[in-house]
This record gives sequence, C-alpha cells and structure tokens, in this order.
Amino acid sequence: MTTLNSLETGQIAVIHSLTGDKRFISRATAMGFTPDTPVTMMQNAGGGPILVYLRDTQVAMARKEAAKVQVERSAK
Amino acid sequence: MTVQASSLTDQSGFTIALAGQPNTGKTTVFNQLTGARQHVGNWPGKTVEQKTGSFTHEGTTYRVVDLPGTYSLTANSLEEMISRDFIIDETPDVVVVLVDAAQLERTMYLLAEVLPLPSPVIVALNMMDIAEQEGRSINVATLQEKIGVPIVPMVAAYKEGITTLIETIQDCIKYKELDSSPILPLVGETERNLLAQIKDLIPADTTLSTDWVALKLLEGDSDVLQQIQASLPAERWRALEKILNQHEDGFLAVADARYNWIQQVTRGAVSKSAESAAEVRRGKFDRIATHPIWGIPLAILIMIAAFATAMIIVMPVFPLLSGGGLNVLINATRTALEGAPPWFVSMLADGLIPGVGMGAAFLLFLFAMFLVIGFVEDIGYLARAAFVGDRFMSRLGLHGKSFLPMLTSLGCNVAGVLGSRVVDTWQQRMMTMVMAPIVPCLAVWGVVGFFATIFFGTSAPLVTVALLITLSIWLMFTGLLFKRFIIKDEPVGLLMELPPYHKPNWKTIWRFTWGHTKAFIVRGMTLVAGASMVIWALSYLPHGDIETSILGTLGRFIEPVGAVIGLDWRLMVALLASMASKEASLATLGVLYGLSSGVGTNSLTGLIFGAEAIEHTVIATAIHTSVSPASALAFVFAAFFSVPCLGTIGAIYSESKSWKWTLGATTYYTFAALFAGFLAYQVGSLFL
Repeated sequence: MTTLNSLETGQIAVIHSLTGDKRFISRATAMGFTPDTPVTMMQNAGGGPILVYLRDTQVAMARKEAAKVQVERSAK
Repeated sequence: MTVQASSLTDQSGFTIALAGQPNTGKTTVFNQLTGARQHVGNWPGKTVEQKTGSFTHEGTTYRVVDLPGTYSLTANSLEEMISRDFIIDETPDVVVVLVDAAQLERTMYLLAEVLPLPSPVIVALNMMDIAEQEGRSINVATLQEKIGVPIVPMVAAYKEGITTLIETIQDCIKYKELDSSPILPLVGETERNLLAQIKDLIPADTTLSTDWVALKLLEGDSDVLQQIQASLPAERWRALEKILNQHEDGFLAVADARYNWIQQVTRGAVSKSAESAAEVRRGKFDRIATHPIWGIPLAILIMIAAFATAMIIVMPVFPLLSGGGLNVLINATRTALEGAPPWFVSMLADGLIPGVGMGAAFLLFLFAMFLVIGFVEDIGYLARAAFVGDRFMSRLGLHGKSFLPMLTSLGCNVAGVLGSRVVDTWQQRMMTMVMAPIVPCLAVWGVVGFFATIFFGTSAPLVTVALLITLSIWLMFTGLLFKRFIIKDEPVGLLMELPPYHKPNWKTIWRFTWGHTKAFIVRGMTLVAGASMVIWALSYLPHGDIETSILGTLGRFIEPVGAVIGLDWRLMVALLASMASKEASLATLGVLYGLSSGVGTNSLTGLIFGAEAIEHTVIATAIHTSVSPASALAFVFAAFFSVPCLGTIGAIYSESKSWKWTLGATTYYTFAALFAGFLAYQVGSLFL
C-alpha cells in the first residue's frame, strides 16, 4: 500500500481509501476518486501537480492532495 | 421567431434548467437553444453569473436557465448551492442534464444527484462523435431503458440532436408521457437500513422527498444538517446526531453507491475498444503542453501570440483613435461650438471625447484578446496552462487557472482582470481579479524604466530587482490578506480535469468574445466616460487652469502627506494622471515642471493626448534638476505599484458587477502605491 503521489509514470493502481477533510473527499469523489477505482499515473515529474487517468478522465491533482489518496499498486 | 424579452420574473410559460459538469458542452447547448434571446445577470444576491434565455417552439415559449457548471451538488461551493437551490425551490418543469459520452462514468455523477430531486429529467448525451473516435459505442436505447428517463444523443458542436432535444422537452412538458419514474441510485443494504432509521426521525412535512433528505444527512451535507436541526425537537435531533456520528464515512458510502449505480446502468449499454482512451488522448501536443519544463514556455508563447494578434488587429485603427482621428473630432467640436461657454467646450474636447476615444481603442484590443482566450478555452488548452502554472500560482494562494489571466496582466491589466473570468469558483475568481492589477503592465514598465534610467543610470537594474522583490512580497501579502479576511474556507489544492481537446466551435468562441466585450462596453465604458469627466472637472475648475484647479489645490493641501512619502504636489498629481493612462504621468510632469509650451491645453486629459508633443529628453532634464534621488525612487515605486488606470477600474466593475469590490480594490491599490513610495523614500533617504 502506498499513496498516489508515489506512483511512477505509467504505473497502474487501485484506490484503497481517501483521507482528509470532508471537503476534499467530496471534491475528489465527484471527480471519480472512490475506493476500488483503477487509476493510471500519466505524469509524475517536477514539483508541480501530478496527472492521472481514471474513469475515462485525465485529472490533475496537487501533490499534497495526492498524498491523501491511498492506493494499492497492481502487478502488471 | 418573435423577439420577446425574457426575464426571471416571467412566471408564465415553462422553465427548463440546464445542468451539467464543466466541459460537457452546456454553453453550446444553451446558445443553440436560445440563440440571441439571452440575458446575462447575476444570481439574486450573489456575484455568480446567471444566464437565462428563451425559445419558442410550436407557439409555446420556454424559459431556459443555465445553472452553473459543477461536478456535484453537495454544498461545497456557492455554485453548487445555487444549482441545488434552484432545482429544489423553483422546481423547473424539466431539468436537462448534460453528460459527456466520452467521459460517461464521471459525468453521470451529477445525473445521479439530480435524479432524486423533484423535477423530471432529460439526459442530453453530448460529444457522441468524440466517444466514437475513441472507440466507444453507446447503445442509447438500452441506456434509456436502464436509467428510466429520456436520453437524447447529441453532437452539440455540430447542432446534431438539438431539434430532438427541443421535441423531447415539449413531449415531456406538454404530454407528460415521458415523465416516467427514474430508477433511483441504489445504496447497499447496510446503508438502506441506516437510511430507513434516519427517515423515521426526520419530519415528513418537508417539501423534499424524505429519501433525498436522508441521503444528504448520511452524506453529512452541512446545509441540510442545519435545516433539519432547526426543524427538529432537541431530543429527536440528538438521536439523529448519534446515528450520523456513528457513520462518519457515510459520504464515501453514498458516493460509492452512485458510481455503482452508474456502472450498473452502463453495463451492457457501452462497449469500449481494446485500446486505452488514455493513450488516445495523450497525443504529442499534450505531452508538451503538460510537460513540467516545456509547458511553461509554451504557455508564455501562446500569450505572446495572443498579444501579437491583438496588436495586429488594433494597429491600423489605433492611430486613428488616439492621434489624428480623435484630434480631428476634437477640433471639429471646438469649431462647431464656437461661442458656447469655454468650460462646456473644454468639457467635451478635453474631457469626454478623449476619454471615450481611449476607451474605444482599449475595446478593440480587448476584443482581440478575448478572441484568443476564448479560443484556447474552447479547444481545451486552458486547463493545460493551468496545470503547468499551478506550481507558481498555488504559492500565491491562487488556482492554476489564474495563470493565464496573471500572465495576460503583464501585457495589460484590463485584459488580465477581464480574463479572470476563466477561473471556476467565485472566491478564486475574485482573488485573481484583485491580484491581476498588482502585476505591472507594459505601460507601467515604460514609465518606471524611463524614470529609473534617467535617475539611476547604471544602477537601474538594481532598482528593478528591488521592485521585483517588493512585487513578490506584495503579491504574497495580498494572498495572505485574502486568506485571512475574505476566503472563509481552507484553501484547497488543485483538482482539475483536463478535458479532451476538440475542434474550435466558432459560435461559442464568438459568443464568449462578444459577450465579454459587450459587458465591458456597458459597464466599463460608462465608468471610464464618467471618471474622465470627473478628472477633467478636478483639473479644470474653477479657473480653467491646472495650477489653480481643485486638483492643484488638493495636491498642495496634502503636501504634508506627500512630504512623508517624498512626493511633492507635482509628483502626486502625476500619479493621479496615471489613472487616465500610464504614459500621461510623464506628460503631466513635463507641464508641471514648466514645460507647458507645445501643449495646447492645460487640463489633464488634454495633456494625456498631447503627450507626444513633449520630447522625453526635455522632461528628463527638467525633472532631473528639481527632484531628489530619494523622491525619484519613491515615485518609481509608487508608479510601479500604481494607482490602477481607469480601464482597469472599469474592468473590475464590469467583472464583479459590484461597487463595493470596485471601490475597495481601487482604494487598496492606491494605498499600496503610496505605502510603497513611503518605504522607498525612507530607505532611499538613508542611502542616496
């Protein structure tokens, strides 16, 4: 188990849980981040936000926020 | 089509609400439904824009209300509250929910939230073409059967499906035959029991369905919680609170249930090709546009291209307005009004006409800028710029989407303020709008560069560095002020969808461009015209001469204040002149330091347009001999953190539609400019 921000570009994982305040959780779920959802890391480089793909959508997420998403790496 | 005024107070006829997540093509559908019959205002008591319109089909008029684009309906933001309250309180005859066929799963989330609300729903399944390109085929009949509400497949960009949508709306309202009961999003068994318990405790006489209220309570929706707490006896509320406290993860459970429902209804109706859409979308351009290093120069290049385009459009017309053409008009006015009282002639020739003329030149420039911003937003690039710019913007407490407006502001503050429109939430938008004018525009750099060079020569770069450091401190300080006093919620990090690119829809871009330009004509230009008259009056009355004018008297009266800042009354008046245009402050100084020959008039607005009559070198020599270095430094700083120009003030009013914000921001900048001058003078006095 790890956090979303520590995935490397190209890695695939499944969301396990979300932590943080209610506002973050409700914003994230509306964007498609819920437990058991598969997610692909599209870009994780530099100091800026990360770029992931889930539920047919490319989503940019701040690094700090991504640390609140626990994921389980899937073996490829 | 008959032209009829549509308004919110019009109670006859039917009301249709348009809902949908951002980037689902809601604006395009709204434009195609209503055509030119639109009204743009604010939601009552809010600074969020409200668009309404109407259309007539087979003799019946339908009013269309465009709800703010939001991802969900939980009471997280002003926009979400507005959408939700509208559907609940006004119960529109139909709610049309836009869903993106290429991003079906996620965009159906809002649909799952709208379905349990009291109004009948029609789903507009947009972007069918993109879904197809990405190898996704959707069986609309199956999906319709599973969801239980009418579904209209559309490619709104090419007007496909609009007629069917209108007919479906009509059928739904007139014959009620499609008003079937939708299959509501289901929740798991544990939640169902829980919901039943909650339902027993809440009052049944609410106008809302108890199912919905129970669901919202389990979600921990603060707005619904408050309402229920107020309507329940204390004892029952405590019992309810106890249940809710035991299930704090209720929110995730409910959200999860909605996605489960989505998966359930789309299963069998949607087939995907083997190739992952993720790879299809991430083309070569996108890799550069989102690249942590190359993305930044690309964004800057695009903004430079925007300015160049704006300039190319404006250039042939600009000399006509600012120089020759305007002078012809002014002289013609003077000739035509021969014999009229001189103050009246001066008011028109030195006040109103030059002021409005300058505004008109601005307008063209803004028009061109909006065209480019509308274009990059429409094709989907804006989100990429926001993605690469977020690193810098988040340090100021701004959103990534503020990156382009702030960048634009470096060229022209007016464009920056008006460009803040692209930021999604109200709070971040206001913050961007207020911070954009702090960024020095090209004209400010012109004045500051000129002054810094003549006074500090080879040390000018040092002054520039000091200015830039002060600028970053000032921006961060402003960000903190916002956080402390205006933004009530905790700042949230970037969480933004990067929509798929699509071909530009020129109609939508045109509406964006023209809508913004028109708003600036109506509100901004009125303010510019009024303010240039006020400045004229201050610099002309009572004797028709700037030295003895109200402004001159005022300048001398506040000289003790100016002395602390290191600015004599002439420099103070020059700062005020920079409100009309930044370049004007130099011309004003020229006149005030006794170089008035060559300028036809002594009133301030006259000076601005006679600016070219005085050689800059002449001003340089004159000022250099009579201003101390410390005072010059104070002036450089005060001009850099300038009093905003009238165009900017007009733009703030045009965007915020609020006098409070306009006056508040203007006062803030003015104070900042004087304070920066004060600091520079104090520090300068020690060293220079």
